[in-house]
Amino acid sequence: MQFEPDEDQRAVLDGLEQLLGALDLEAPKEGALSAFSRTLDQQLADSGFLQVAREPGFSLLEAALLVERIARTPVSAEAAASALVLPLLDPEVARPLALGNQITAPARFLPHARTMLVDNGEDVLLVEVDAGNVEPVETLFAYPYGRLRRTQDLRIRALGPTMATPLRRRWRLAIAVEGAGLMQAALDEVLEHVKTRHQFGRPIGSFQVVQHRLAMTAATASAARWLALRAAWSDDEADCAIAATYVQDAIPRLTYDLHQFCGAMGLTLEFRLHLWTYRLKALLGELGGSSAQARTAATRAWSPARQ
Amino acid sequence: MSDPDRLEVFRAQARSWLAANVPNESAPSEGQPSREFVLRWQQRQYTDGWAGLTWPKEYGGRELSAIEQIIWFEEYAAARAPSTHDASFVGVNHAGPTLIACGTEAQKAFHLPKILRGEVLWCQGFSEPGSGSDLASLRTSGRVVGEEMIVTGQKIWSSYADIADYQELLIRTDPASTRHRGLSWVICPMNAPGITVRPIRTMAGPPKFSEVFYDEVRLPLGNVVGGLNNGWRTAMSTLGFERGTASLALQIRLVYKVEELIRRCKDPALAAQLADLRAQAAALRAMTYRFALSQGRGAPGSEGSIIRLYFAELTQRVTEAAIDVYGIAAPEVLQDHGWGFEYLDGFSETIAGGTAEIQRNIIGERVLGLPRGAG
Repeated sequence: MQFEPDEDQRAVLDGLEQLLGALDLEAPKEGALSAFSRTLDQQLADSGFLQVAREPGFSLLEAALLVERIARTPVSAEAAASALVLPLLDPEVARPLALGNQITAPARFLPHARTMLVDNGEDVLLVEVDAGNVEPVETLFAYPYGRLRRTQDLRIRALGPTMATPLRRRWRLAIAVEGAGLMQAALDEVLEHVKTRHQFGRPIGSFQVVQHRLAMTAATASAARWLALRAAWSDDEADCAIAATYVQDAIPRLTYDLHQFCGAMGLTLEFRLHLWTYRLKALLGELGGSSAQARTAATRAWSPARQ
Repeated sequence: MSDPDRLEVFRAQARSWLAANVPNESAPSEGQPSREFVLRWQQRQYTDGWAGLTWPKEYGGRELSAIEQIIWFEEYAAARAPSTHDASFVGVNHAGPTLIACGTEAQKAFHLPKILRGEVLWCQGFSEPGSGSDLASLRTSGRVVGEEMIVTGQKIWSSYADIADYQELLIRTDPASTRHRGLSWVICPMNAPGITVRPIRTMAGPPKFSEVFYDEVRLPLGNVVGGLNNGWRTAMSTLGFERGTASLALQIRLVYKVEELIRRCKDPALAAQLADLRAQAAALRAMTYRFALSQGRGAPGSEGSIIRLYFAELTQRVTEAAIDVYGIAAPEVLQDHGWGFEYLDGFSETIAGGTAEIQRNIIGERVLGLPRGAG
């Protein structure tokens, strides 16, 4: 078993670091509810990082490593769906990609998307998105959300119901990988705070109650990352569902703990923590939430076919 | 009329009044529209005798028992009346009660009727940038000069300070003092010269909190509540109300919200989770009612921290379950005052009025009688 990136993976990650380092990825202006960075999104697409899973010698695992790192930036870009879901489709299908369960419901990244994939329970539809047909939806969940203004006269291609299983598998993988990156970045931000914030004459990070819960949070973030990478490596139905279950299940406890130790300051938009926890909260309920993923995990992991 | 009959009549009257008077429009989230909405709703309740149910008659209350108060809040929640966690919260639920418990006759006579009649809003000025959980380290000072004190310093996390008329202000009035000694609890008019209010945007959306700056603000000594340099004691009364009984309406509302989720839930996997939440809500209801019925006129004791903590954490569990029940992109989640807002606003429940960690310390030391820790 190998737990460290190999030489090629290291080279790809170093390349991403160079790209991120060259960009000014500062937090959005105070009060902005969406932290979407068009610059980052475009640069990621132009540089080819989001197509890494299609490259010879590379796989979903490299794509997952990149998505996890991108999630740790203070801004959002449509990376997870492009890098992990789009490789299921023809190379000419355009990104950014929005994923949805209903053609009429608000979807993440739709205001910037050129394609929407809709799993409506009966079929998987590939919708070409016309920017003029998207109405932005203001939410408190950091990602840009939007909904289609009209659903008639759309350019739609039915991919067939057999696409539903792979689409959901990769969607779960995307939730898990991005969630793992967000968890780690949020934890890093809080660790800085508890070392420098003093109450009762000492850093609050010196109190055992704070240390214990942050230690648990670190274990959760680490577990999420390994489960997500394992799922990317295997691209297995059960692994992807288990990773998404774990991440979605852990989000509420983890985000409450992280905000708790930043006090009221952590609830403000002046403090950076929300840049990651807002996104975690959006992932919390996606694809039916952790209970839906858990049922899939149970069905797939312990189905007679796998015995 | 027997007691049960009397209470049923009271319940029927409350239900009927609420059915006819609960505003149809949604409460504005911030600024002057919010102030006007909140004051108008308070005035309407007062005019028809539904404000200050347990307050003394001489100050505009009805001197009813905690049972009537509970019945009113049950009907209030069922009627989906505006949340009491609005700009009237501080005045009605802990500034007013603190004045009743610790204020002078003149203070009570002047301020209490104004609060009940919906003429004024209050905010709280306890926390400072360096003094949150460690409240006793506060540094905002009041220099006593003759019959006045001159206040200089800064407060933070003052909810609705931008639209409030008065503030419960905790400051250090004995410059030689440290920690809990030498503090005073003072009524601070928010229009006093030298006060600057800066709203802070929070992740739940509207700028509910503010920073308040005091630059040589002159306040009469007659505004001190509970005695000069005796402010810690008065503040403990305020916090006793804040942690003990102030959230009674919100606790009952949460119980009703769980019922709403149960009615909406069609997912068997979530049903088990909701059943668990319903059990917790039933426990909260029992604890809340027992506590409310056992209180006298004074400030509630430390046991209030058990309910405060239980309520805060249950609020967070219920709001996160709601996201699962409705789905992240549902109108019920995304709309104004929807579950998305409730979820994000719920993060402050384990911080405001003393963090969950402080509540646990209080429970450990003052309720369970455990030895004080090193910190």
